[in-house]
Amino acid sequence: MQLFFEQLLNGIAMGSIYALVTLGLALVYGILRILHVAHAGVYTVGAYIGLFFFQLTGSLIIAALGSMVFCAMLGVAIERFVYYPLLKYPPYVPLIGSIAVMLAIEELCRLIAGPHILTFAAKLPFPEIQLGGITISSTLMAVYCITAGVLAFLWYITSFTELGLAMRATSQDIPIADAMGINSHLIVSITFVLGSAIAAIAGILVGIYYNQVYPTMGAVPAYKTLALIVVGGLGSVPGAVIAAMLLGVAETLLIGYANIPLPRDALAFIAMIGVLMWRSEGLLGSR
Amino acid sequence: MKIIRLVGFIVLACLLATGSVFAADTIKIGLMAPLTGFAAADGASVDNSVKLALERVNNEGGVIGKKVELIVYDDRADGKEAVAVARKLIQQDRVIGVVAGSYSTPSRASAPIFQDEKIPFVAAYAVHPDITKAGNYCFRNGFLGMVEGKSAGYVAVEMVKAKRIALMTTDNDFGREMAAGFKDYIENQGKGAKIVLEQTYPFPEKDYKPYLSKIKATEADLIVVSGYYFHTAPILKQAREMGIDTQVLGEEGADSPKTIEIAGKASEGFIMVTNLNRDDPRPEVQHFLKEYESRYKIQPDMVGASAYDAFMIICEAIKRAGSTDGEAIQAAIADTKDFNALTGVIKGFNDIGEVVKEVQVQVVKDGRFRYYGVVTDISLITP
Repeated sequence: MQLFFEQLLNGIAMGSIYALVTLGLALVYGILRILHVAHAGVYTVGAYIGLFFFQLTGSLIIAALGSMVFCAMLGVAIERFVYYPLLKYPPYVPLIGSIAVMLAIEELCRLIAGPHILTFAAKLPFPEIQLGGITISSTLMAVYCITAGVLAFLWYITSFTELGLAMRATSQDIPIADAMGINSHLIVSITFVLGSAIAAIAGILVGIYYNQVYPTMGAVPAYKTLALIVVGGLGSVPGAVIAAMLLGVAETLLIGYANIPLPRDALAFIAMIGVLMWRSEGLLGSR
Repeated sequence: MKIIRLVGFIVLACLLATGSVFAADTIKIGLMAPLTGFAAADGASVDNSVKLALERVNNEGGVIGKKVELIVYDDRADGKEAVAVARKLIQQDRVIGVVAGSYSTPSRASAPIFQDEKIPFVAAYAVHPDITKAGNYCFRNGFLGMVEGKSAGYVAVEMVKAKRIALMTTDNDFGREMAAGFKDYIENQGKGAKIVLEQTYPFPEKDYKPYLSKIKATEADLIVVSGYYFHTAPILKQAREMGIDTQVLGEEGADSPKTIEIAGKASEGFIMVTNLNRDDPRPEVQHFLKEYESRYKIQPDMVGASAYDAFMIICEAIKRAGSTDGEAIQAAIADTKDFNALTGVIKGFNDIGEVVKEVQVQVVKDGRFRYYGVVTDISLITP
C-alpha cells in the first residue's frame, strides 16, 4: 500500500509537469485553432533564460520573472511574425511554420548555450512532509504547489475577469467578438503572453526538478502535449489539465506495476487513438 | 604577344597544379562525429580529443615523413547523414583511414561503405556488434556490451560482494547486450548473488521515481544501471532524494564529467566499468588529462579518449606499414600488439576486429572519477 501511495505521488508530480507544459498549447489552440508545436521551444527557452538570470543574480524570483517576460515576448513574436501572416492559409501551413520555429529554437539554444547539458542547481524553498511513513520530498512539494498556484491563477483570470470574458468570446468566434468591440488581435497576443509565461515557469521547474537544461528538452513535450490536448478535447483547458494528470498517474502506475516493453510515451498516443475512436470530441470537448 | 600570353597561362596553370599537389602531400584521415543534434556533447568531446592527438602526431613529425591532415564531418548521429558523409570522405577527400567517433547507427551505416573501398575504419566507442562484422577493414576500440556486462558482473560479485541485485537497463542495443552479459555472469559465477528485479526503461526517460520506488521495495544491496550520463545521473540524484542509499554500479555511458555535475553530491561513491582510468600512471594519459582540461575547461571522458586512441591506432599502423596503401594499413592494424593507448594497453584485435584490453573500474570521490579496480581476467575481457 505504501508503494502504491508513493507511486501515486510520483504520478501526480509527473501529471502536474505535463499540465504546465500543455496549458499554453491548449490556450492557443482554443483561440486560434493552431497546433502551436513551437510552444515546447518556448518552454526550452524559458529554462535557459531562467538559468541565465539565476546564475547572474542568484535569485529564483528574478530568474522566474525575467524568464516569464522574455518568453512572453518570444510567444508574441512567434504569433505576430509567424502565425498571423499564415492564418489565411489552411491549418497545416501554420503547423509547418510552427515546426520550423521549434527546430530553429532548438538549434539556436545549442549554438548559444552549447550542446552540453547544463545544470540548474537551485533549491526550491518548499518543506518536506512526512505522512504516515511516506515522505513527500521538497521537490515534489514544489511541483505540487507551483502547479496549483498557476492553475488557480489561470482559473481566476478566465472565470472572473473581463479579460477572461473577452478571451472566451474570442475563442468562440473572432468576427463576432470584433463586432462586439473586442480587440481580438490584442486578446490573441495576451493569450500568447499567458501561455508563454506559464511555459517559462514549466521550463524552470523541470530544469530544477531534473537538474538538467539542454537544447532538446522540448522534443518529447512537443509531440506529447499534442496527444494531451486531443485527449482533453481540443481547445479545452480544463480537459487538457485532466488529461495531463490522468496520463502522469497512469504512466507511473503502469511502470510501477508492470514491466511492459512499451515506452511510457506510447501510452499518451494509445489514449489519443482510443479517444479518437470512441469519443472524438475528447474528454471535455464539445462537438 | 599571343605566345607570351599562352606561355604565361601555361606557367600559371602549372603553378596552380603543383600548388594542389603540395596540398595533397599530406596524409588525410577522416573523422565522423555527431557535432550537432542530441549527441552533440559527445561529438564535441571527440572533436577536441582527436585534435589533441593530431597535434601530437604532427609535432612528432607526422607519419612516414608527411603531415597528417584531419577531415572532420558532422554525421548528426544519424544513419542517412553518415552515408552521405562517408561518400564525401571517400570521393572528395580521398582519405586513407577513418575514425568513427560516433554512435552505433551512423557507424553501422557507414562501415560497409569503407569496407568496399578497402579504407581502414576504426570505431572509437560505438557498441553495436554489426559494425565490425562489415568486414576485415572495420575495427573497434570500445568494448562490446557483452564484455562490459560480464565485467560489471565480476565487479558486482568480487568487488562489491553484492547478494541482491536490481538491474535497470536502458532499452537499446547496448543496454540489452550488457544486461545479457551481466546476467550470464551472475548465473554462472555469481557465488549466490541473485538478480531480484530486472527493469528496462525507455531511452528518453527523465523520471525514474516509479522504477526506484519498486527497487526500494526489493531491498536490493546493489543497483546496476546501464545508460548514458543523462540517464545515470538523474537516477543517482532521484534515488538519493527518495532516501535510497544503495550502492549504484554503472557503465561507460555514464563516463562523463556531466554525471558528477548533474547528480552533484549524489554521485559520491558511484562506481562504473569503463575504459579510461584517470589514475593511470603512464605519462601519456596524465598529459592528455591535464592538457584537455586546461584547454577546454571541462574534464575529458571515455568517448574522447577512445576517439583519440582510434586516431593513434591508424597513425601507428601507417608508420608500421610504411605506406598509405589500404591493404597494408589494414594488415598493420590487425597486427597491433601491446599498443600504449590512453584507454589502457591494447593487447591487440581479435579475428573480427574487436579490441582486447583491460576493463577499468572507476569510483566518484570528491567530485572526480578515481581508480577503484581493474578487470584483468582474460576470459571476461575477450569478446
